[in-house]
Amino acid sequence: MKNIYRPIEATIEDIITESPTIKTFVLKPREQFEFKTGQFIELTLPGIGEAPFTPSSDPNVLDKIDVTIMNVGRVTSVLHSCPKNTSVGIRGPYGKGYPLDKFKGKDVLIVGGGVGLAPLRSLLFTLFAQIDNYNKVILRYGARSPADIIYKESIPLWAKKKKVDVFTTVDTGDSTWKGHVGLVTTILKDLPVDLKTAVAIVCGPPIMMKFGTLKLLELGFRSQDIYLSMEKNMSCGLGKCGHCRIGRFYACKDGPVFTYEQLKDLPEIWD
Amino acid sequence: MDNIYYIELENLNIFFNKLKNIYKVFSPVIKDQNAKEIDYSYKDSSNNDPLIFNGYRTVQPLKSFFTYPYEKVTDYFVSEKNITNITDKTVVFGVKSCDIAGHKVQDFVFLEGVDVDSLYQLRRENTILISGDCSDFKEVCHCLAWEILPYPTDGFDLNLSPLNDGYLVEVGSKMGEEIIGKSKEYFVLAKETQVSARKTKRESFVERLKSHLLGQNLVSKDTVQRLVKQGYNLDTWQQFMLTCVECGGCNLICDTCHCFLLADKKEDNQNKKVRLWDSCLYANYARVAGGANPLKARAQRLRNRFMKKFDFFVDNLKVPACCGCGRCIEVCPGKIDIREVLKDLAKKLQNTK
Repeated sequence: MKNIYRPIEATIEDIITESPTIKTFVLKPREQFEFKTGQFIELTLPGIGEAPFTPSSDPNVLDKIDVTIMNVGRVTSVLHSCPKNTSVGIRGPYGKGYPLDKFKGKDVLIVGGGVGLAPLRSLLFTLFAQIDNYNKVILRYGARSPADIIYKESIPLWAKKKKVDVFTTVDTGDSTWKGHVGLVTTILKDLPVDLKTAVAIVCGPPIMMKFGTLKLLELGFRSQDIYLSMEKNMSCGLGKCGHCRIGRFYACKDGPVFTYEQLKDLPEIWD
Repeated sequence: MDNIYYIELENLNIFFNKLKNIYKVFSPVIKDQNAKEIDYSYKDSSNNDPLIFNGYRTVQPLKSFFTYPYEKVTDYFVSEKNITNITDKTVVFGVKSCDIAGHKVQDFVFLEGVDVDSLYQLRRENTILISGDCSDFKEVCHCLAWEILPYPTDGFDLNLSPLNDGYLVEVGSKMGEEIIGKSKEYFVLAKETQVSARKTKRESFVERLKSHLLGQNLVSKDTVQRLVKQGYNLDTWQQFMLTCVECGGCNLICDTCHCFLLADKKEDNQNKKVRLWDSCLYANYARVAGGANPLKARAQRLRNRFMKKFDFFVDNLKVPACCGCGRCIEVCPGKIDIREVLKDLAKKLQNTK
């Protein structure tokens, strides 16, 4: 009988510094490991602890997984001090991921905040690889400051792709910043999308998810067309340990991506 | 009926002792003979203690045979993908109807869904449940409020009903049939008169329990989900939480509570992943990295316990995750009574109508 808690060994092949608090870890699993974009994994430091992350890499790349991680808690602070070639454990993938078939032929608006761009990068790679399936891909990304922007070198390259529209903002600018200043909700005006059919995918800190969603509703997005990546403390990943309950759902097995329609009548979803 | 047998008390004791040759047998012992209300406790019966028929459920929840308060679930980076440590073949005597009802919730969590928890499944397959009708009740017992009868009708391997100088033994599974098959000489097919005597006895016990519960005005199974949903913003949660010391006892001793924490441990220079029973009353239960905590306030955590039992499980399993065993009431140092919390919601909602 399969042991559902057994981690696969993976080696940290490379570490990319994205911002003062965020690094991307390139993992090479020792066994076959596949995921769908939007699904998450449990990443373990043996003897230290485990935490859930959604890979930020292209799921079509089979031998490596990128995980972009902010130094924010007990496990991540140790991880940030790990050198290359450290052995880590991975379990998963868990959850349902992004329902790509629901995005087909439509304008796909992607709204990211801070390190929330990590899972969205995986989605972007997936969409880029089959761009003919979609009408347009629009990325709206907000970070706290220019230094906090992740994937700094990739974003301008994405902007040059056909059928892709990118706009970035920062909450607070600095002397080097020539772009827009303001919360991500301030760049959701005059979107080049067909509101009747467009879908929106939102990922970021809870406060940004909340106001981002309210803004999209105000613009005319239907609640079933807004997809939210919910942050809960998913632990087992299989709907057994009980921690990530949201109303009648578990974020780990029923999500972590939910439509706002699924969640809107549940209390305290933004906490 | 061909699945009900009769066994003399003397023969039951022989049967019980024979089982010990093949299985690890647990059965109830009395903790303190002089206590005002007797408590039964499961004990490994490797010694020659006689079999005691417990009138009501034990102190420990049945779940403790299937998941443990603390246990290793995996080593690190082992090539073996499967679970191979076979657990002892076990017999548990003295299981009650409430335990079996609670056990269905545990089965739903660990055996259904996206994947099967093999550790749980292995223990489940290797454990024989020998239940018994309740012949007495504790003050806190309230199974009937959730429409659970004080005698099991399914979910057991064998069920014992005391009758005169012996027991009626109902076979509830193939496994039950097999162990009886190995000791055929002690069992005789029950007579119709015996089966109808069991029915009469059961009915009169149900009446006794009903009259105990009658004055309590307990909340009913079909209204409880509505109550916790509509009572979401009532002050009931703050009020009852005042005396909570966050010991987690209510969850840990609950037959239906299943939450666990996965943690990493380093012992003897070996890393391993362990599983610990968790409690949603603990402050860090829902905390995420960076410190955000959707269940920060104490009252939110008490409410979460009730929403999980009476909203989540009613939606997902179609039954409330409470079997009326009353263990959480007995264990609580703050005297928080699940019956009273629900009644308070009902009363306040009635008043605001």
